[in-house]
Amino acid sequence: MALDQATEKTSDDTNISTFLMLPNFVLSLVERILNQALKLDPNVAHKLTTVKQKRLLVEVRDWQQTIQLVFADEKLHLYTADNSDYSDCMISADIDTLVALKNPAILTQLIRQDKLDLQGDLNIAQAYSGAFSEIDIDWPEQLSAYIGDAPAQQLYMHLMSLKHQGSKVTAKLSSTLTSLFQDELAVTIHPLELAQFKQQNRELKGQVAAIEQRINTLLNAITR
Amino acid sequence: MNETPEKTTHFGYKTVAENEKASMVADVFHSVAAKYDVMNDLMSFGVHRLWKRQTIASSGVRKGHHVLDLAGGTGDLTAKFSQLVGETGQVVLGDINSSMLKVGREKLHNLGLVGNIDYVQMNAEMLPFPDNSFDVITIAFGLRNVTDKDKALRSMYRILKPGGRLLVLEFSKPKHEALSKAYDFYSFNLLPTMGKLVANDSESYQYLAESIRMHPDQDTLKAMMNEAGFEQTTYQNLTGGIVALHRGFKY
Repeated sequence: MALDQATEKTSDDTNISTFLMLPNFVLSLVERILNQALKLDPNVAHKLTTVKQKRLLVEVRDWQQTIQLVFADEKLHLYTADNSDYSDCMISADIDTLVALKNPAILTQLIRQDKLDLQGDLNIAQAYSGAFSEIDIDWPEQLSAYIGDAPAQQLYMHLMSLKHQGSKVTAKLSSTLTSLFQDELAVTIHPLELAQFKQQNRELKGQVAAIEQRINTLLNAITR
Repeated sequence: MNETPEKTTHFGYKTVAENEKASMVADVFHSVAAKYDVMNDLMSFGVHRLWKRQTIASSGVRKGHHVLDLAGGTGDLTAKFSQLVGETGQVVLGDINSSMLKVGREKLHNLGLVGNIDYVQMNAEMLPFPDNSFDVITIAFGLRNVTDKDKALRSMYRILKPGGRLLVLEFSKPKHEALSKAYDFYSFNLLPTMGKLVANDSESYQYLAESIRMHPDQDTLKAMMNEAGFEQTTYQNLTGGIVALHRGFKY
């Protein structure tokens, strides 16, 4: 049966993503970015030597995509994969959980909560998680190659200051919004206030009508 | 006097003697070898890199594997395989054409890929390896140039290890009429012109377009692979069937 199914697996997918080979294209871009990051922080490559040539399969449940990740020849290789492909370690989770894996300490907690399936060698997943969570690029050093030491340091300080201010503003905004949502604020008026407003409105309407009446009387008196 | 009629085959749209095709194909590739990579990028708008990525993704190549990259040309697949199999693995870049091998070897040496790559000039119909030698064999954009494709497939089957797989990446038949027409216009009008302008060789690119049309379609090639002994044969259409990736296993 499995053989029949495999033999009949002739893809006639006609959607635009398949036609343009988007998963392959996106993975090739991500691979480039990650390898650039490896060059900028050599410690990451050093941390990944323990998983050299080992294959990690990552199933992203909400994207319905499986990705294979191999660290070989000091580079990361990312390809699409089938769940049935050979792997030294396979993890399956939705994207939020995968992002949360930046903290390797919560790996077992996520497995217990059934948010993460893990098969194979746990150390491989932990090694990748640990390497990428501790990525630390020496930006002034990298920038100095292009614009010199002093300007690179100054630019870096300015950017850090901006980042600091940005996070302060974000924190303030967040706390304001939190208090707005948490505190019982009078967002709409009370029914009694509405009734009073209507009453005042009616009185005002009456006064306007009286003034109109008087103006008309005066106009009539002038025209005679 | 009974003269044995000479066996013929196709060379693009021309019919030629079987024993002449290999040298005619060789002439084409001697002619295009120097500009092969540039023309590949230009003709496919870079998409050939994604087709090759899909081939590597489907190959299941891992540490310690022995891989044959047949008709490997300028070594795009070999470069990746060499990294994935590591020091304990081995990749053989095979091509019938010495000019292509030379360009491939130079390119891979410049990339620093040495140590686990062998370069062998070989004919796909008579592969010079013992039975059950390789875990994975790939032939990318090469099978359509082989004179006797059935013989080549049988030869590949012979040298694959049990459990090993063959991947054939090759131009095929687009699945939709509109795409097919646009592709025909591109192949027979623009492609030879681009070949003339960039590589100063329109005939080789005219041959390319013709040889693609003469190549078996997806289901025919699948049947040929089954006939050669491969099992669980499947194919995947890439870019609407302009290219197809066939995969078959030996058990």
